[in-house]
Amino acid sequence: MASDRTRRRAWTLGVAATIVVTILYLTVGVMSGLRSVANLVVAPFAWTIDQVARPIGHFFAGTINYSDVLAQNQKLRYELGRAQLALNERWPLYRELQQVTTQLHVPFLSTLPVVSAQVTSISPTSFSATIDISKGRDNGVLSGMPVVANGGLVGSVIATTPYGATVRLITDASSLVGVTWGNGATSFVISGRGVNNGLGASSVVLTTSLKRGTMLVTNGLSGGLFPPGIPVARVRQVALSPGATTYSLSLEPAANLTHLSYVDVVQWEPST
Amino acid sequence: MSRALVVVTLATLFVEGLQLAVFSPWRIDGVVIMVVWLWPLAMGLAGYSALGLWSAIVAGVFFDTHAVTPFGLTAVVGMALAYGASRLGREGVGDLDSAAWWVTPVLAGVAGFVAPALYVALGAVALNFGLWRGSVLQVMVVNALAFAVVARPVTRLARAVGRWGGVRR
Repeated sequence: MASDRTRRRAWTLGVAATIVVTILYLTVGVMSGLRSVANLVVAPFAWTIDQVARPIGHFFAGTINYSDVLAQNQKLRYELGRAQLALNERWPLYRELQQVTTQLHVPFLSTLPVVSAQVTSISPTSFSATIDISKGRDNGVLSGMPVVANGGLVGSVIATTPYGATVRLITDASSLVGVTWGNGATSFVISGRGVNNGLGASSVVLTTSLKRGTMLVTNGLSGGLFPPGIPVARVRQVALSPGATTYSLSLEPAANLTHLSYVDVVQWEPST
Repeated sequence: MSRALVVVTLATLFVEGLQLAVFSPWRIDGVVIMVVWLWPLAMGLAGYSALGLWSAIVAGVFFDTHAVTPFGLTAVVGMALAYGASRLGREGVGDLDSAAWWVTPVLAGVAGFVAPALYVALGAVALNFGLWRGSVLQVMVVNALAFAVVARPVTRLARAVGRWGGVRR
């Protein structure tokens, strides 16, 4: 008898929960509010655990990786010096390019305003590649704006709140970017292949002369989602199946997406 | 029962915090271990049907508000695991006392293997076909191994939480 009652209760609870979840799923409008409330509820628990776990993690990581961190620091100083030198050498060319692009009304990345933001969290699941950043609508960050860091395109803003935003990374399975290379004569679309699998492109016409290491940049076509010239990915592998009339490409993101601490949101909207 | 709900809700929120603060940033080969699925499963294996379902809802809904994947999917998968496990748990299969020591880890391993596939399949039902493009098999294997390794202590913890809430199986 008691078992029947428990079973009935379990079923009722299950059915009620499914209905609630379905209704919430269908009424997308309540999601942002629900997200904020859920964040408020979970935040103290996550904060408490973080305060306990982080020092322990840092202790072990610091003990094991100290020499690596020192070596990495020296290497970064060296690379920073080289980059500074290269920038100084190319300064006249850069000024000239800036003047030409301004005259032609072409949006060049270096001429566009950016908002720097800190990465506050990464996607908590294996099934999506997103990051949350510390700047939102109050700082001029809007949905659709491109995000760059670590030497290339990182993704685009997909949701904003007054104080933060969510960025979909280019490796996300639902991400698409129009790219070109060289003189910009040929364009094709590359897509994300999931968090661990980088990027890929299929149906690239055989007449193109792509080889390993070629850098692909955003094509900036009219109506496109990104301004032109942002480095997106390097060609890792060119595959051609027997009898096929197109290439398949395996690509490596230009930006290092595994260590994102700060990013720049480019204040450029797709419609402009 | 109401006391048990409060205790299980608090415990589940701590599990949620553990997921977001520790397990989501700490990835194995890029794969997140889904403690928010393991906890309802453990509640089910401990024989708590209603509490298992409740913990799946709480853990899943709060987790889904932090992700951009279809809302409610994590909760539905957690509920399926909790319900299946509770049926087995009530029959004594997977019970820590009466069953062989390896039964609980094996059941948890199977659940950890099946759960990501179920998630992707339900995602397709919700018209999100992008979930399968990630390394689903990798996610399944890593979660299966992780679930199998920690199944017994987590189930023991779930049983303690249920008893603390004053519920007899």
